Amino acid sequence: MELFNSINWAAIVPIIVPIILIQLILLIIAVIDLCRIEKTNGPKWLWAIIILFVNLVGPILYFVIGRRNQ
Amino acid sequence: MNLWMVLFNKELVEMSRNFKWIWVPIVFILLAVKEPLTLYYMPQIIDALGGLPEGAVIELPVPSASEVLIAILGQFNTLGVLIIVLTSMGIIAAERKSGVAAIILVKPVSYASFVTAKWAAAMLLLWVSYFIGYVASWYYVVILFEAVPFIDFFQSFLLNGIWLSFVLTMTIFFNSFNKSPGVVGFITIAIIILLSVLSSSFSHWLQWSPSLLPTYTNTFLLSNEIPDNVLSAIIVAIIGMIVLLVCSISIFRRKELA
Repeated sequence: MELFNSINWAAIVPIIVPIILIQLILLIIAVIDLCRIEKTNGPKWLWAIIILFVNLVGPILYFVIGRRNQ
Repeated sequence: MNLWMVLFNKELVEMSRNFKWIWVPIVFILLAVKEPLTLYYMPQIIDALGGLPEGAVIELPVPSASEVLIAILGQFNTLGVLIIVLTSMGIIAAERKSGVAAIILVKPVSYASFVTAKWAAAMLLLWVSYFIGYVASWYYVVILFEAVPFIDFFQSFLLNGIWLSFVLTMTIFFNSFNKSPGVVGFITIAIIILLSVLSSSFSHWLQWSPSLLPTYTNTFLLSNEIPDNVLSAIIVAIIGMIVLLVCSISIFRRKELA
């Protein structure tokens, strides 16, 4: 609680909120697309893990590499 | 012209189905935003990582807003260029590989409109995402550092954007004679690196080289006056783009008929 109060929230919120928002949008779109797509480049469950747990780079990697179906 | 619009629309629809309209701007935003944040929080980052002896004091000068903008443009010119090449390396090559290009080209569609429609759609995507990313970075620079006049910001945006468009046109050009997207991407990146190294080491002779445009943007941001050679570099870049497009159309036609 002390740590929570020690942070200057008014200064940090305008900086951090847009980034979190963008990251969330990217993640949600990647997950929606993964559910819809028929086949990915490589196993689907692996991409799910990458999208959900590799911060930021995961969804981007999925869009660049994972969606390429031969 | 009507047919051209149909092809252009087809490209836009394909891009939105691929979610390119969402993820490419987001990647540009993240690239741009990362730089002012790390520069601003550098003292805290060094503190938190530790490894310094007790009582060591580091004085880091606070970078000026134009230095931060230069760092952001540096991100666009390295990772941004990589993203541009990655997204557009398959734009014609993959369609030829899968046979879609052949299906489209049996119809009375001219090769020129096929290639230019693709080029225009890719350019639109590039400029929109580059603009969104740069505006987002401007927001952070204004919040964390100091206000930058919009005119300076916009001029540096245009100057650097011409170089990015040149890179994109080059990717399309290499698309026209290679069927494998990977090879296209590799060749384009190799040529870009070669061009940048050559023109920065021989910058006295190659003052008109388009790959010096990022350097000119930096001098413009620092000294606030446009360097003399900018105009020649811009003209060469635009002529180069036209020549590359015309060449790619004619090469593409010959390859497809053969």
